[in-house]
Amino acid sequence: MSKQKLIPIIKCTSRNRVIHLTVIAVGLMTLVPFVLNDYQISLGTEVMIFALYALGINVLLGYTGYVSLGHAMFLGIGGYGLAILSVLWGWPVWAAVPATFLIGAILGGVIGFACLRVGKIQFLVLTLAFSQMLSGAFTKLKATGGTDGMAGIPRPDLAWLGVDSWNNDIFYLYVLTFFLVVTFTLYRVLHSPFGSVLVGIRENERRMVALGYRTGRYKIGAFAISGFVATVAGLLLAQRTGFATPDYMSWSYSGEGILMVIIGGMQSFSGPILGAGFYVLAKAGLADITDEYIVVFGLLFMIVVAGFRTGLSGLIKVILTWRTRNERT
Amino acid sequence: MNALEIIDLNRSFGAISVIEGLTLSIKEGQRHAIIGPNGAGKTTLFNMLTGWLPPSSGSIMFGDKSIAGMTPSRITASGMARSFQINALFDGLTVRQNLRLSAQALHPSRLDVIASFNAYSDIEELVIFNAERMALTDYMDKPVQELSYGIRRQLEVALALTSEPKLLLLDEPAAGTSPSERLRLVNLITRLPKSTTILLVEHDMDLVFEISDRITVLTYGSVLADGSPDEIRRHKAVSDAYLGKNHA
Repeated sequence: MSKQKLIPIIKCTSRNRVIHLTVIAVGLMTLVPFVLNDYQISLGTEVMIFALYALGINVLLGYTGYVSLGHAMFLGIGGYGLAILSVLWGWPVWAAVPATFLIGAILGGVIGFACLRVGKIQFLVLTLAFSQMLSGAFTKLKATGGTDGMAGIPRPDLAWLGVDSWNNDIFYLYVLTFFLVVTFTLYRVLHSPFGSVLVGIRENERRMVALGYRTGRYKIGAFAISGFVATVAGLLLAQRTGFATPDYMSWSYSGEGILMVIIGGMQSFSGPILGAGFYVLAKAGLADITDEYIVVFGLLFMIVVAGFRTGLSGLIKVILTWRTRNERT
Repeated sequence: MNALEIIDLNRSFGAISVIEGLTLSIKEGQRHAIIGPNGAGKTTLFNMLTGWLPPSSGSIMFGDKSIAGMTPSRITASGMARSFQINALFDGLTVRQNLRLSAQALHPSRLDVIASFNAYSDIEELVIFNAERMALTDYMDKPVQELSYGIRRQLEVALALTSEPKLLLLDEPAAGTSPSERLRLVNLITRLPKSTTILLVEHDMDLVFEISDRITVLTYGSVLADGSPDEIRRHKAVSDAYLGKNHA
């Protein structure tokens, strides 16, 4: 563990290994609806939704080096965006979904522009303020049902494929499609020259400015991408539960997102996915035993922060490296 | 042709005037050093030239462009690059990645969101070329954290050099180095081609006299003396004010 895994430019894992693991993971994820029971499938759906959410947060947290304490607002924007466009205004789902994504990205850019003009601490407070403001507004807003939120969030009509998106298995595959497309696109973006600029900003913003980068623009871009990905998660979450409520914008959801990223390992691309998987599954498992699951996560968080900064993804990497070494000898 | 022309530059902080009516020109292809005792205004001048501090008044012409008050990133984009007195590197990244960030800073690929970060061969070439110039090729895939201080100083200069500036500003490049590290650095800087104009701010007198072919002595924010190293060495007021009465 002496060498910390650095993102995105150093790869400790070889390219082939990444491809192998990805193919295996995607294969297993596709099999889920065919082998597991209904409850497990719906947990799988939840894992993917929160994995997207955590991936979005990590664009800022792990790559650019900014902590947003208000990212749950994009969960809300995703849910309410779809709810308002489709339920209130009667847009068809196929138009409301991409429009919501676009709104998420634009609001991400705008809120990013407002929050990124200050230092990192102020940024943290401003993002929190923005999300509280938004959740406060939706709590009061009568048109969107106030505290109760809005019900009847539509899912897409997939009759042309001969399937029903209200079917648990089909909805899982629907979410899986979004998950794969967004994840692979995000992977490309973060490993592009643009992505390396974000890492440069994380490592030393002052030097980036001296090298000629107008860092403000890249940070706004990062916030927009981050907001977009979290909006996708928020929309899927609303489609899963059928509700859009101010709850989804609460600071506790923001905190849980950060928790997922840190437990999974913010120094790697896959960390947030692992963290979200662990979080959702452990929460479901613990909920059977105790209501106080958050205590367990608190402890885990402390362990990761104190002794194991690379999180779950770091742990897996150590095991893989160790196995490779053993195979060679 | 002057690479840089500073005319009647002023900067004050409150009631304290740090740079007062400074006029100075730097010829193309020259290695020009600015020296002066602590508080002479070297750092303030440096920060104004590189855009980190706006001047109170006066003009700075870089080629035929007025750069006074421009932002640091725009000044760099117009062809001036600086190194830092205290290392400002990307500590978590390798030497190669550090240089790559510099090489792509003014390259259109920086906005590419789809291609792999190492897809551009012209950037990779620029990285290798400048790594060779600053003797860093043996350390390419080492993270900065694992480098010795001397090598880090070389990288500090290489980062500025990799953006291929017309004018290279070095802020105390040898600060904190050991004698052998210093010697290495002097050799590397001396070997740079004359097409790159160098403006150097330095405390280390030996280094200044070795590298530069013109020296400006700054005291209390204005020019005390300006001339070749020999002229400066013989200059009475300079040796009294700055070099100490026993020097040379």
